[in-house]
Amino acid sequence: MNKAENRPQTIVLVEDETEMAEEIKGELESKGYLVRIASIAQAADAARVGDAAMMIMDRIVFGEDSLNTLEVLRKEGVKVPVLVISALSSVDEKVKGLKAGGDDYLTKPFAMVELSARVEAMLRRLDDVRTTKLHVGDLEMDLIEKTVHRGGTRIDLLPREFRLLEYFLRHPGRVITRAMLLQEVWQYHFSLETNVVDVHISNLRKKIDTKGTPSLIVNIRGAGFMLNAHA
Amino acid sequence: MLEFFRSSAVRVALAFVLVTTAATTAVFGLVYFRIGEANEARNRLILETEAAKSANRSVEELRSAFEVRLTNDLRRIDYAALFDANHKFMFGNIDVLLPIPVDGTSHFIAATHVPGSINQLEPAIFVARERPDGTVMLLGRSLLETLAFRRIVQSALAAGLAPMLLLALAIGAYFARRSSRRLTAIHDAIGRIMKGDTDLRLPVGSRHDPIATISRDVNLMLDEIGRLLVQLKGVGDNIAHDLRSPLAVVHAQLERGLESSSDEQLRAVTKQALAHIDKAMLTVAALLRLADVEYGPKSRNFQSIDLSAICADLFEFYEPLAESKSIKMTLETHSPVQMLGDGDLMREAVSNLIGNAIKFTPENGAVSISVIREDGLPVVRVRDSGIGVEPAERDKIFQRFYRTSSGHRVPGSGLGLSITAAIANLHEFDLRFNDNNPGAVFEMIGRRK
Repeated sequence: MNKAENRPQTIVLVEDETEMAEEIKGELESKGYLVRIASIAQAADAARVGDAAMMIMDRIVFGEDSLNTLEVLRKEGVKVPVLVISALSSVDEKVKGLKAGGDDYLTKPFAMVELSARVEAMLRRLDDVRTTKLHVGDLEMDLIEKTVHRGGTRIDLLPREFRLLEYFLRHPGRVITRAMLLQEVWQYHFSLETNVVDVHISNLRKKIDTKGTPSLIVNIRGAGFMLNAHA
Repeated sequence: MLEFFRSSAVRVALAFVLVTTAATTAVFGLVYFRIGEANEARNRLILETEAAKSANRSVEELRSAFEVRLTNDLRRIDYAALFDANHKFMFGNIDVLLPIPVDGTSHFIAATHVPGSINQLEPAIFVARERPDGTVMLLGRSLLETLAFRRIVQSALAAGLAPMLLLALAIGAYFARRSSRRLTAIHDAIGRIMKGDTDLRLPVGSRHDPIATISRDVNLMLDEIGRLLVQLKGVGDNIAHDLRSPLAVVHAQLERGLESSSDEQLRAVTKQALAHIDKAMLTVAALLRLADVEYGPKSRNFQSIDLSAICADLFEFYEPLAESKSIKMTLETHSPVQMLGDGDLMREAVSNLIGNAIKFTPENGAVSISVIREDGLPVVRVRDSGIGVEPAERDKIFQRFYRTSSGHRVPGSGLGLSITAAIANLHEFDLRFNDNNPGAVFEMIGRRK
């Protein structure tokens, strides 16, 4: 684990609905983050001086589109990761949010586990280095050769299974929701009413797990999945 | 009265009057100056030729010629006189040599009185010319006639302009009054509609003018808004109904939780309540999605997309799910099927169809997807060997929240087909249902344009 996690990371939250803001604050503080509720201007200042590990911005705050401020920040070269949350759900709006410099986009209503999973994934993304190999336990993934070995045995994965496993390996020990997988692994920007993702995970498990040891990918009830980082 | 001048028709009328006045004045002005100019040029030529001709005549000849001229030929020369080398008066009808250059060309004299002269002059042009013997001859012609003509033109302009101005004003006022009466009626109608009288429409009248056209357009718009309002109310009722049941369940569960004696019991109840809330949230999300597709901006940036590739991608995505139910899933595509559209939306629409097919097909069944071009139109056909749809329910499956009696046990928001239909409609596709005996066939077919 990296050094930064020894002290709490500050998340600046821009949200004008008090109850929603308090809920988000409570959820993230329970995960060990410091949360500061701020106006758009305060958040921008915090981002400029590097006081924020990341920002969560509601699209419309007091009638103002926070994307405008985000765009300005990005033009100034401020690189803080930003999660945009919004009641505007269309694909167009998502694209707009990402174009303006948002790193992820979450549509209201959302479950708190979804939010904290995304926050963790985003803060984790910062630590990403350009590696060519990913590990967990005795499983190794070679990103160049596109091969996976577990304890010296080669595992044959279909391309989609490889992508799925790669995503887990890049976010070890983090809660990963079904929506995140759909969006990041398959690039599907809609919700499903079937348990296809679970079937994919269960197929992947069958290939990578070894008999007698606990599964590398565990189910998190009511939230999604997690790669067991200490396997 | 102020209202009257604010009316756009009055302003147009006033502008019309102004422009007409300016144009008329310009024409008259041109005539006025052209006539003067032409007249003067002719006079100058006559004078100068006359002066040149007379230069070689003897003084006696001139004397008699002047007398003849001044009595008989008044129309051409009004003034004639001869002065000696010292510019002293010899004979003629002007007693002083006018202060003009002695150069044989004509000059305009506006003065009515010349210093040292007893003559009263009319505005005229004069030419002074030195003769070989040193004497100076002065000829002149009055411009009175030209000026009089100009005055006539001037007064004609003044006389003509006034009635024209009045006429234009009167016409403008008439139209202003007429249109303001109609605008007031429209204004009143809009006021009443805004106050809630939504069945009222704007008065159109029998005329075929821009106001009538706009009124008709506004009325059509009001009809459409009215239709949407009714539809929205229906959707609202459905939302209320569909959210009421999970909320009631959650309410009951939480009440039970409050009275529970053990933590474990409380946790169990909370989990159940959460599951119901999740379902409600799923419904809300689906409704927002539907609203977005149906009422979102129609000007999405459509691109050329390959329906075959989208289906192949989804086939691969759903294959494990089909396998887990031992459903034999097949895909039939031959060549790219290009169409103009939003890839994300089309993917969602086809995903719903395939998801439904697998959901409603029992184990060991079959689902087939085909993407083809039929008579030049793109077609996606999803066929299953599932439970199908009862004939009585076939009209209703595309309605919002409709869940078939047999499909009620299968989880879902009941909005999937509505969203698919809305996406199909946005892309000018038709979504149709056919019987597969057993099972169902859903097909999306591009509309012939």
